[in-house]
Amino acid sequence: MRNQSSVKQEFLRKWITGLRRYSCEKKNMSFFERKKAIKLSADLAMASTRDKTTRWSQALIANNTDNVFIASSSSSSPKKSSSSRSRNMTTLMRRSRPTRVKSAKKEMSSARCIAKRLMEKRTRKLKNLLPGGESMDEGCLVAETLDYIQSLRDQIEVMRCLVTASQLIINPS
Amino acid sequence: MLHCVNMTVLERQQARTRKCHQQDQDQDQDYQRSSLFDVFSSSITMDGYDDSSLHMPVMPPPAPAPSSSSALSRTTTSIAPRVASSLASPTLGKKRKPLTQKVVAGGGGGGEQQSENIKKDKKVKVSGGEEESSKMSEQTNKEEVASAENSKGSSEAQNHKPDYIHVRARRGQATDSHSLAERVRREKISERMKYLQDLVPGCNKITGKAGMLDEIINYVQSLQRQVEFLSMKLAAVNPRLDLNIDDLFAKEVFPACAPNFQSIGMASSSEMSNNPAAAAAYLDFSSVQQLVSCSNGLINNIGMSMNPSPDMGIRKTIAPPLSVSLPETFLDSSSCFTQALPPSIWEGEFQIQNLYNVAFDQPIRTSSFPPSHPFTGLVEASNLKMEMEMEM
Repeated sequence: MRNQSSVKQEFLRKWITGLRRYSCEKKNMSFFERKKAIKLSADLAMASTRDKTTRWSQALIANNTDNVFIASSSSSSPKKSSSSRSRNMTTLMRRSRPTRVKSAKKEMSSARCIAKRLMEKRTRKLKNLLPGGESMDEGCLVAETLDYIQSLRDQIEVMRCLVTASQLIINPS
Repeated sequence: MLHCVNMTVLERQQARTRKCHQQDQDQDQDYQRSSLFDVFSSSITMDGYDDSSLHMPVMPPPAPAPSSSSALSRTTTSIAPRVASSLASPTLGKKRKPLTQKVVAGGGGGGEQQSENIKKDKKVKVSGGEEESSKMSEQTNKEEVASAENSKGSSEAQNHKPDYIHVRARRGQATDSHSLAERVRREKISERMKYLQDLVPGCNKITGKAGMLDEIINYVQSLQRQVEFLSMKLAAVNPRLDLNIDDLFAKEVFPACAPNFQSIGMASSSEMSNNPAAAAAYLDFSSVQQLVSCSNGLINNIGMSMNPSPDMGIRKTIAPPLSVSLPETFLDSSSCFTQALPPSIWEGEFQIQNLYNVAFDQPIRTSSFPPSHPFTGLVEASNLKMEMEMEM
């Protein structure tokens, strides 16, 4: 059974070390840069607590490590290369899985067709939400969502605690 | 009808004995299943039937750390004698014998001694493992079973540990191999959806995949939005990302020396009033340390006081190495920073501890998600706007 408090501690530790690395490399960041750095390091820390056992964590790390390394080394636009790399990865993963050929639009008279279409829409939406979710089949998708939700909750709790603590420090009244 | 049942029963018995032998050869040992998926892929479900006396409750897979397969084999052996005893009961002397659907992981292969109550026996092989692709192979011909098993077992033993799932057709349903595999898949999915129902608040009343999916999507979106807002809040609260503070990491590694934190707050607040410029620097330095120590204490409190949620049963312990690369040189280069600071900061009063206790209580209360407010992110947004106006 996974120990929740130890997971949160580990997440916090990794997050802070990541942030420290960021701030050492770049001084005087603007508000949005700071926010991005915080979010990025939080996401990476959360993904690394799962230790690559889940697909979403792998995809998250893969999508974001480009940003981290490039941003830390230079200030030139890293977004193009990282986005192209992530796009390549997703296309590769898509090609590796056999894609189902969708049939032409059937008549919408039967209820089953309608239900099927609704389900397809929703699974597609969920796949877009989940990092690396485009190349998952349905069973895998549900399990990954489960894990992702748990990790997100942990992350939010830790972040919230940090926010309240830092607020109290600044305004102790 | 009975005639062909008997014929197939005999064949099946022979095939089963052959299978048992091969399975024992193929499977060497239990292996560590550290991920959620392995638990699911080798789950055992037993369903009761309307007219049969075999009423088995649905068993969610237990998820202890050491190895789930050992637990599973334990459960299968406990189930098997029950089944055998109920089979021997006189109520099963009907013409149309009740059927059992049994999904058994590979470890329980030896425990199978079913004889009479089978309509058709299909073997579905599922390979769990780190890659989550499940390969389903279905064989209808009994002769092919033996040979195919050998080849697949030998090839797969190198890559993954094969999980054999024995599926029997339910009464009155299609016994086609494809439909059986479909049914297994669907049951897996529905089982996972049940877990999701426990996780996502407000999903208890919704029955149906589409509505559930809707709720799940909304929930994931709200969680992601919350992360965004919280990171914005943190960026707003900290004027700079002062986490290049040295002791930070040291304090984390040795949380025992964290009791200084109650003194820090008072000292920093008094400094603020006297000398804002200098105090700002000290504040930044100490604030993050406080953050760390607060959070450590906070997290410890949370870990102890929080009620075990239903999702705790799902997770397994993982021994993760730090995959985030940490340049160790940071520690060395920044350690000189500590000595530059005057030690006068570390004087304190203990009243501040009450403040922190208040802080500890607050997050615990707010961390529970009330089902009536799925979009707590909106509340955060309004708070954040106010803060941003104050800051800038």
